[in-house]
Amino acid sequence: MQRVIERALNLLAFLLTAERPVTADEIRRTVAGYDQESDEAFHRTFERDKELLRRLGVPLQLAPTDGWEIEFGYVIPSEEWDLADPGLTDEERTAVLLAAQAVRFGGQAAGPDALFKLGGAPSSVGGEPLAADLGVPSANIEAAFQAVSERRELSFTYSGVGRTVQPYGLVHRRGNWYAVGPEVAARSVVKAFRLDRATDPRVGERMGAFQRPSGFDASAAIPSAPWEAGADDIVAVVRFDAEVAWLAERHLTDAATVTRDSRGAIEVSLPVAAPMAFIGWVIGFEDRAEILSPQELRSRFIELVEGAA
Amino acid sequence: MTSAKTARRLNRILAMLPWVIAHPGVSVEELCDRFDYTKSELVNDLNTVFVCGLPGYGPGDLMVAYIDEDEVVVEMADYFARPLRLAPHEMLVLIASGRALLSSGQGSDVLRRAVDKLEAVLLPDGEESLVVDLAEPPLVGVLGAAAAEGQVVRIEHVPIASGVPKTRDVEPWAVFSTMGNWYVSAYCRLVQDERVFRLDRIRTADVTGDTFDPPSDPPEPLVRYTPSESDVRATLRLGSSARWVADYYPVDVIAVDDTGLTVRFSASDAAIIARLLVRLGDTAELIDGDAVAASEAALRKRILARYS
Repeated sequence: MQRVIERALNLLAFLLTAERPVTADEIRRTVAGYDQESDEAFHRTFERDKELLRRLGVPLQLAPTDGWEIEFGYVIPSEEWDLADPGLTDEERTAVLLAAQAVRFGGQAAGPDALFKLGGAPSSVGGEPLAADLGVPSANIEAAFQAVSERRELSFTYSGVGRTVQPYGLVHRRGNWYAVGPEVAARSVVKAFRLDRATDPRVGERMGAFQRPSGFDASAAIPSAPWEAGADDIVAVVRFDAEVAWLAERHLTDAATVTRDSRGAIEVSLPVAAPMAFIGWVIGFEDRAEILSPQELRSRFIELVEGAA
Repeated sequence: MTSAKTARRLNRILAMLPWVIAHPGVSVEELCDRFDYTKSELVNDLNTVFVCGLPGYGPGDLMVAYIDEDEVVVEMADYFARPLRLAPHEMLVLIASGRALLSSGQGSDVLRRAVDKLEAVLLPDGEESLVVDLAEPPLVGVLGAAAAEGQVVRIEHVPIASGVPKTRDVEPWAVFSTMGNWYVSAYCRLVQDERVFRLDRIRTADVTGDTFDPPSDPPEPLVRYTPSESDVRATLRLGSSARWVADYYPVDVIAVDDTGLTVRFSASDAAIIARLLVRLGDTAELIDGDAVAASEAALRKRILARYS
């Protein structure tokens, strides 16, 4: 480990002062630590080091060393090395670190390392009680975040189809992460893609590849209840008995209208875009709820409960 | 592949150097506190920095780093004067965590200020591009405060399986959200054991006036269902459009083919599997499990009686 750290520091010092693209060959001849005997050993070592630096966030790039683009070398553009200083106070640093420790990703809590680049947090207090778990981190979520923050296009396979999206936003709701934005092929329709259903994510090469519409609200693109995500346009009326009315109300969104009778039972009128998701929810109330209308939805429910037999 | 330990160490060096350069005369104690160093780790890293620098690698080319009395000194290292940018996954963790706490009403004004500052730099395009919505349900406030103060709470809770409400006195430990739902972990005085309750199934929660000593180190709450001896077991055949069941419920997949999969399902109550089977219709089939079959038939009959 000691040798890797020394080599990486020497390589960074060299690249940060070179201010021009330098070839792998020049690095091998110039930077201390790359005195491996064989070509193969050098390349293996150099690849490993590049991977380490990129993992830390070093903007290591390839660029032509001359105007004819015959030879390429490595460069760290000075303006991309750092970010503008957000200007956090120590009190704010501590608040961010405590939040990062209380919020887990798939059970993993952030360590004090999470804040080192921002100046660390004095007296890092550990062991914040879990407040929320946002699910297992995935390459999809990280790629989507990078695409959103740098306005790059995002490509992935979704429902078996390859798509390229201009992600305006990233949303976590009801335990799922969504990328929100239009497909490049149909720019007028903003869609929400559940990231756990996407595969093979790729972030576009160009930064600032699109403009977010001003005033865009990513959260408005994600439905608040599972039965609100779909293509249908039904208004359903359901009756819930008094003993389960409170439980049903916990799951209703602002779109529902509730009328209560004198014994505490409620009649709810609500928009349904995904009938099967809605029926699935109503079945959970067994015989203490009843779909009153529309007749078609009621019949579909009865058919399902009667079964195929 | 370089080890995660090496990456962490290099990351810390690249964060520590700019801090020392920007704060000349910083003490060993402050640096250790801020970057979670022991003194020997810090000395070790400074010694490493001392032997690195620019080609030539003579005394005028290497960085200078040492401890003088109690002060940390770094010189000839101006190329490391600016802290490295956060990698996308690091930004995501910080902003999403902050947004999550703020959306659940648990964040302070200090946190809000900090997250706003971070977003101004990291998401220059507008504040609505990263949304974390934990939609705080009722009772989070009551139960959270009771947990912090060590107040015993009487809850009326409706288990998902039986649907029969039960009143219990609990010592709440923590309120949290995971996989889209809110939970409270607690010591339940009724069963005299640790329990986790879903908040949307708690009808009422009232402080009893009785108090308890909150455990200094409560066990990590286990939300995932863990099978026990008394559980009901069944074998289900899931068609391709019912595959999601295998991702959503803790099942054992025993066979997969082009048309779907076969899973072994266990649950604390047959009613849970019965409801799922009714809901799935002809996309699923019960292959084995008498208790579930009986529960399913009774459930269908009960619901149809209401609709007749």
